[in-house]
Amino acid sequence: MALTQFPALLLFSFLVSVVFGLLAKDTPRERVIYGAKVFAAFVGIAIILGWLMYPFPL
Amino acid sequence: MAKKATQEVEKKPEEAPSKRVPRPSTATLVRLCVAGWLIPGFGHFLLGRKWRALILFIAIIAMFLFGLAMKGEFYATGTGSYLETLGYFGEMCVGIAMPVAKFFSYAGDPFFVSSDFGTAFLVTAGMLNVLAVFDVFDIAIGRKS
Repeated sequence: MALTQFPALLLFSFLVSVVFGLLAKDTPRERVIYGAKVFAAFVGIAIILGWLMYPFPL
Repeated sequence: MAKKATQEVEKKPEEAPSKRVPRPSTATLVRLCVAGWLIPGFGHFLLGRKWRALILFIAIIAMFLFGLAMKGEFYATGTGSYLETLGYFGEMCVGIAMPVAKFFSYAGDPFFVSSDFGTAFLVTAGMLNVLAVFDVFDIAIGRKS
């Protein structure tokens, strides 16, 4: 299965967020909210870092 | 002074709640943690957290299977590289899934386009399983509900 970087990032973030949410909080509502926050943080920070690194040559 | 000491003595029973979960024996703890390590979520299943066990199992095994689908590599020990040894132990933490994949003669392909992502998925599956095992331990000793 060949994935480009962004789909791989989404997949990775989703699965890790599910586990983090499940382990870190106790009620279903808290788990969903925390999992969504972790997912958004993963994706958002990756995009921000990607744009910050954009001017730099490889 | 004496009055203050009396007040403290009177407060103590309120401060210390009587809800104490009996600590399981070390053998039970080891059995739960080993079960959780070998099969992701199985420790939670043994503790009666069936939904949590099912979701953990699906998430961790899905991560591992995606890693295999992306042809991630299994690290090996004895290469002289500390990072590879750490990677080996990280992947081994996923439990029985790694030897099963090896048994079916899985070999990653370092030249495949998603191989690096796959390797990251394999190691992360192991690390997530370590967190799940810690959670089993915490639940078993009554630190978490």
